[in-house]
Amino acid sequence: MMARLVLAAALAAVPALAFAAVPMKDGHPDLSGYWDLDVKVPRDAALMKRIGPNTAVLDDTGPTEFPRGEYGGLKPKPGAMAAADKWDPKQDLTVAKVCSPPSIIYAMQGPFPIQIDQGRDIVVIRLQYYDMVRLVFMDGRKHLPASAPHTKVGDSIGHWEGDTLVVDTDHLEPSTLTNNGLDHSDNVHVIERFRLSPDGRTLLSTQEFEDPQTLDNRGARFIAWKKKDGEFLEPYDCDPSFALNYGK
Amino acid sequence: MRLVIAIGLAGVLLTAGAAEAHHSFAVFFSSDHDVVSLTGPVKEFHFTNPHGIIEIIVPGKGKPDQDWKIETNSPSIMIHRGWSKDVIKVGDVITVQGWPARDGSNYMRLRNASRADGTPIGTAPAVQ
Repeated sequence: MMARLVLAAALAAVPALAFAAVPMKDGHPDLSGYWDLDVKVPRDAALMKRIGPNTAVLDDTGPTEFPRGEYGGLKPKPGAMAAADKWDPKQDLTVAKVCSPPSIIYAMQGPFPIQIDQGRDIVVIRLQYYDMVRLVFMDGRKHLPASAPHTKVGDSIGHWEGDTLVVDTDHLEPSTLTNNGLDHSDNVHVIERFRLSPDGRTLLSTQEFEDPQTLDNRGARFIAWKKKDGEFLEPYDCDPSFALNYGK
Repeated sequence: MRLVIAIGLAGVLLTAGAAEAHHSFAVFFSSDHDVVSLTGPVKEFHFTNPHGIIEIIVPGKGKPDQDWKIETNSPSIMIHRGWSKDVIKVGDVITVQGWPARDGSNYMRLRNASRADGTPIGTAPAVQ
């Protein structure tokens, strides 16, 4: 009898112990921490299942780059394709432009760490890349009016769906999608989903974007980061004089 | 000038070298065949983002010396790999290996660096 009770107690404790590995805050998984991009993490099946139809999942997360003319399955509209064909990469390396960051669509997949500070009504996502700071409002507000300025971080509102943080972003400035001449418009709409691995040490995410002005289909990326305790973001402090090495 | 061309690294370099995402590595650097090795004293070292720059003087050995500029990965990443603004000083003799600029100029992207005695500079590869 005693053995059965001990066994039952042990079995009952297993899910609790497993769940306890995920830090919690205000009733939700706490995504706070310093996270370093890790391109070796396998795609998370639960998140990938949420990606909508007619979506090209890009395989360029991290240091990988598509060569000129390759867009990973994205279907640029003729105007966007024509602009990409005319792309002159040297124009990105001028004093005026070299410290201009990409929008969060390309920046989030870059090989740089991020830091998250999670509150109940706001989640702050800081990127080491170009010192970008994202504010995700969790207080139920709607997006900014259409007349509001567009920026490289855009306007983000979020909510929880179970253990997953869903971030909806618009008001983005036109910027690169694939770092090879294909740009999104200022009407691009992004949905990101973030969740923790069962041990709480891996941050799993997908990024989906749609931009009917630029693309005939939709795009997505799987992005994952590993938690590193005791690490902090370094300042980026971009120095535009770097462009002088390219003669501009 | 001590210049060694190493062949046979095709297939891994497009990814390995493109550790900085802003300007396209593949467009500016020859990632598919030649790796250049240079040795000389450091003339200047700038450790600022988006990329650091090491300038070295490569002895001409009977011909005029040549200045080379070596572009590093983002210092914000390299600082986690044992690099700092003081890790190299003007006058230090170093050896650098990397991918040359496609335009044929004396400019390249750093793969790794070592001191005159062969000690690696930094605690991890300079590329991602």
